[in-house]
Amino acid sequence: MIRSENGYFGEFGGRYVPEILLPALTELETMFNELREDPSFWQEYVTLCQEFSGRPTPLTPLRRLSKELGGAQIWLKREDLNHSGAHKVNNVLGQGLLVQRMGKKRVIAETGAGQHGLATAIMAARLGLQATIYMGADDIERQYSNVFWMRQLGAEVVGVTTGARTLKEALDEALRDWAASVETTHYVLGTACGPAPFPELVSYFQSVISQEMREQALTQMGQLPDEVVACVGGGSNAMGAFAAFLDDKDVGLVGVEAGGLSFKEGEHSIRLLPDTAEPGIAQGYKTLFLQNDDGQLGDTHSIAAGLDYVGVSPILAHLTQTGRVTPESATDTEVTEAFKLLMKTEGIIPALESSHGLAGGFKRAKTMRPDQHLVINLSGRGDKDIFNIARAFPQPEWPEFLKREAERSQELVDAAKENR
Amino acid sequence: MFPKQNDRLQVMSHAVVGFPTLEENEKAIAGLVDSGVKLIELQVPFSDPVADGHTLVNACYEALKTGGSVKATLELCAKVSKQHPDASFILMSYLNPLYRYGLEQLFRDAAAAGFKGMIIPDMPVEQFEPFMPLLDELGLAPILMVTPNTSDERVARIAKSARGMVYVVSRMGVTGKQTQWGEEFHAYVKRIRQHTDLPLAIGFGVRAADDLKALTGTAEVAAFCSKYIEWQRDSGSDVAAQKMKTLLTDAELS
Ligand SMILES: Cc1ncc(COP(=O)(O)O)c(C=O)c1O
Repeated sequence: MIRSENGYFGEFGGRYVPEILLPALTELETMFNELREDPSFWQEYVTLCQEFSGRPTPLTPLRRLSKELGGAQIWLKREDLNHSGAHKVNNVLGQGLLVQRMGKKRVIAETGAGQHGLATAIMAARLGLQATIYMGADDIERQYSNVFWMRQLGAEVVGVTTGARTLKEALDEALRDWAASVETTHYVLGTACGPAPFPELVSYFQSVISQEMREQALTQMGQLPDEVVACVGGGSNAMGAFAAFLDDKDVGLVGVEAGGLSFKEGEHSIRLLPDTAEPGIAQGYKTLFLQNDDGQLGDTHSIAAGLDYVGVSPILAHLTQTGRVTPESATDTEVTEAFKLLMKTEGIIPALESSHGLAGGFKRAKTMRPDQHLVINLSGRGDKDIFNIARAFPQPEWPEFLKREAERSQELVDAAKENR
Repeated sequence: MFPKQNDRLQVMSHAVVGFPTLEENEKAIAGLVDSGVKLIELQVPFSDPVADGHTLVNACYEALKTGGSVKATLELCAKVSKQHPDASFILMSYLNPLYRYGLEQLFRDAAAAGFKGMIIPDMPVEQFEPFMPLLDELGLAPILMVTPNTSDERVARIAKSARGMVYVVSRMGVTGKQTQWGEEFHAYVKRIRQHTDLPLAIGFGVRAADDLKALTGTAEVAAFCSKYIEWQRDSGSDVAAQKMKTLLTDAELS
């Protein structure tokens, strides 16, 4: 696993937070540094993932699709088969173990696609903790099914209406909550970003993905993969998929960012490619941020709420700078096409975030030889995107059904009111 | 300049540069000075002000639309520090706009514009330490923050680099909500005093004359910021200045 130097990865990372948050972060760092030297802790974590989330997740060959594309053999690491439907739960289960050790009774989280919020709500229900989830008001509209389930699970979901009303603002608001509640509350940060030790800690838990992938590849392919491809929002599933291969120089590591509508400012969330983001210090850490000359963080866009973020993991910023990780991007249109292709050819429904990894991976596979192997990290399943996909492929029966369902729901609400 | 230890309490107030407009800032500052305020923070608006509550967050968003920026803040300070030579202006900013400007150049330009000190909530003392010789040469005081949960060891480290005054965050949380000035608070202030001879500025939750009365004799400076910006937002800069005058009278500080 990659290790920071005092919280830094090259020039990126660090801990730039209001003084009030420092004690909790150093406490967390001390605890993390101790636990990761203890092999029984990793075993405890892996057992929990197995019992509760069905790990190890399979490595699935895409035989039909690989033949159709005519390049490398494509495999999927099936993080979509986790409980809660995405890789986010790995990190949350790990941080749950830390919360239990700290004895804190409340957790907070930011969420974009709602997968991290959902995983946090699940963990809180299971451990009997209070949970507050901050989510951009626009993301609530985009990912309502996850909001619905978080609330059913007993979490409080707070819509954030400032700024661009997406993940960046949700993270700001979670930091504000934490400044007031830090003595009793743990902040379950959902990606490999934020102040140290979060980037390293989240990557540590997510590295379970590549540790499994490595063994599975050796067994199923008889070799290490030639390339591993993952989508990059904050960077946690990518770091999870890359971590165990960092020293295997022959394994190409490719991160696919959200190309959105175009390369124009505000229409994408690309931070790792040249002429996009610049070094900056905000939200507690130093990384490449989309920003203007005055250092104001910029607007982003992606069809996938989970990739619609202005910064990126300081570890990935560093690994891109050193050339170890190759950045790529996929546009909204390429993403919906890749979504459809996987669904129709292999019977798997991917999340829109993960479909960026598919789009980027398919493109690369086509240029490779049939004796080569490419693994795409399928970070999540697409159930949560039912409304977005319905929009991407419009059909009259969907709004008609929604109208009928809205009427039925309203009748039930009205009847409940009368009975009261 | 900054008060000395045990000087009578004085109020520090606030401007968000560009809120409601750049022209209005000048008028508002003149109003504050007329009302008797001699310490004024000029806040560079930022897209992601994580230590601020809703009042200042919203003021930042408004200010960014009207042209608030680092450059505008330096220009404003150059003007108002000439217009009001008996007032001291303090640069308040989150780190990124200053980092993008270039920290060393920013410190030089801020001192040249007439700033006497700086408050940068997300710049920890470790980051200030290498700049201390330059800042001392420029006479630009890093006003560092301590919080109720800051350990003694760390308060000592902060006190070593702090200049001008120490900003004592009164309670947990962000700006804009009431604080209770109870026994715990007084014990906390006493603890900080053990580490520094600098005057103390109390910030977060100072919202009324009663708060100022409670702090008189306890601290040298009280930061009256969010509430003032609320006055400015709701009733305009002239009324806000009048209210400030009344506040100082009610608190027996004029
Ligand atoms: C399914 C899925 N994949 C990927 C992401 C992006 O996050 P990260 O880059 O941290 O993996 C998200 C975030 O919400 C997600 O839900």
